[in-house]
Amino acid sequence: MGDLMTKPSATPGPVGAGPAVGTPPRRRRRRVDPTARGVLPFALPAVLATAVLVLVPIGYTIWLSVSDRQADGTNSGFLGLANYAEMFDSPQFWSSLKITLFLFVVCLLLETVLGLALGYVMSLDVPGQRIFQGMMLIPAITASVAVGLVWLLIMDPTLGAANQILGAVGIDPVVWLGDPDVAPWAIALVDIWQWTPFMALIISAGIRSLPEEPFEAAALDGASGWRLAWNVGLPLLRPVLTVAMLLRTVDLVRFFDTIYIMTQGGPVNSTNTLNVYGYNAGFVDNQPSYAATLQIALLALVIMIAGLFTWFRQRAAR
Amino acid sequence: MTRRLSGVYAAYLVFTIVFFGPVLFMLWSSLRDNVDITGSLFDLGSPLTLDNFTNLFERFAFGRHIANSFIVAGGSTILGLALGAPAAYVIVRRKLAALGFVTLLARMAPGVLFVLPLFVLSIRIGGPDSVALNYALLIVAHLIITLPLCIWLLVPFFEEIPISIEESTLIDGANAWQRFHKIALPLALPGLSVALTLSFVFSWNYFLFALALANERTMPLTVIAFNFIGQGSNDFGGLMAASALISAPALLLTIFAQRWLVRGITGGAVK
Repeated sequence: MGDLMTKPSATPGPVGAGPAVGTPPRRRRRRVDPTARGVLPFALPAVLATAVLVLVPIGYTIWLSVSDRQADGTNSGFLGLANYAEMFDSPQFWSSLKITLFLFVVCLLLETVLGLALGYVMSLDVPGQRIFQGMMLIPAITASVAVGLVWLLIMDPTLGAANQILGAVGIDPVVWLGDPDVAPWAIALVDIWQWTPFMALIISAGIRSLPEEPFEAAALDGASGWRLAWNVGLPLLRPVLTVAMLLRTVDLVRFFDTIYIMTQGGPVNSTNTLNVYGYNAGFVDNQPSYAATLQIALLALVIMIAGLFTWFRQRAAR
Repeated sequence: MTRRLSGVYAAYLVFTIVFFGPVLFMLWSSLRDNVDITGSLFDLGSPLTLDNFTNLFERFAFGRHIANSFIVAGGSTILGLALGAPAAYVIVRRKLAALGFVTLLARMAPGVLFVLPLFVLSIRIGGPDSVALNYALLIVAHLIITLPLCIWLLVPFFEEIPISIEESTLIDGANAWQRFHKIALPLALPGLSVALTLSFVFSWNYFLFALALANERTMPLTVIAFNFIGQGSNDFGGLMAASALISAPALLLTIFAQRWLVRGITGGAVK
């Protein structure tokens, strides 16, 4: 997953982390420090590459979404918002949106709660802490294809480890990936397995950097254990928690890899998230313009949710 | 105190079973005969064998697919570093925000959004039929992953370089490029290693672009392993061996460079 980009300290952060994008006061421009003189051209290759690789595809996809490209590669030109109208009329779009939001909410919630628990355990300074941390890191950086394959074996209806373990304690076998009612939960389970440790790692680093004074002060007032964690620790941890949740949010809304590997959106479209729907529209159903429309809608959704998050965060910071 | 310690280790045990268990299960199953796996999934006494791996190389030419993964991940990493290091330096020295914002868009846009235009381009220039063009396309596509990653990883390292070191070279009349590649770059060497390893692994792991763009001969490990499922393969031993090969760089990274990895993942999320 190129999933793990986080915010370097002094640069304007991801997802509008601050008002930093605005133009600096003009006065400052005069006093560019001498070591910064003449460096600007070095950024040119990266700027060009980014423009070509990011802005051009987004622009082209927007164009596709308002025109009518056929499977054979011909494009009969500008179409207005017809593709968008088709999308909003399609029951599959709304059901995909629902699945996308379902996975987003369930996974984010459970990953945060479990991440807090695991993060706390990881932050404790005991012998063997580094080895433990290393083992916990592995799910998050293992390729999704490998993760998907392993979980396919675990969730195999007859041979799978999951059903054999359930059987040993007398629970009937579950059809994990073949039952439309169960499959979304099974997919959520895999994502929670893969990404809880990532949450936990960020949270544990956050816990370790917490100041001690507030805890000492509260302990003097007689607070202890859970109340200390809930009333003092959690509020102090909130900025770190928000960044971790934001990073997961962006990935969860565009959920693709493990779903495509494990179910390709099935059974009966029960795991057909917007991103999987969009991929299938383009590469299986050969409707490039409609697929482009879905991708633009998805990008808008990611930006909207991330924006909402940032808004809450800034309001909370005030 | 000992009671607290045993509580921590009890938690260690539970979390290890849950989060590390499946990985261990994969590695172990990759060393078992498929008949043993299907016969008795948890039989610890069954013999271990390397047959699954030799099979992959003999029957499915995995050597070639491993080489493909190396070419794509290596190429996009080197390119990402070559473009990303100077850019990160400029971002730090000039406090540039705009470039960061565009890389952020790359971080938020769904991968399919990039694949569609790249696919159209690929068809137009004959990408599907040409091995060289196909490699080039895959490397460029993976640059979408590696370039922002390299920039974001390198920025904190350039920030750590004290400005006084560079100011002292101004007296010697060093120009901007000399300051960058003779002074700043060597000092950011640890950062370059972090960016190199992490972006190699992320590019190696990335699935979607190769799924849509690669042809039979340029297919990396991720896609050939995925195709196994499509063929309805019930050779679980083989599938687990393929998974183990795909996971190898990530596992090695965790064993040998855990500190970098933690730094890469937590980055600036935690100060």
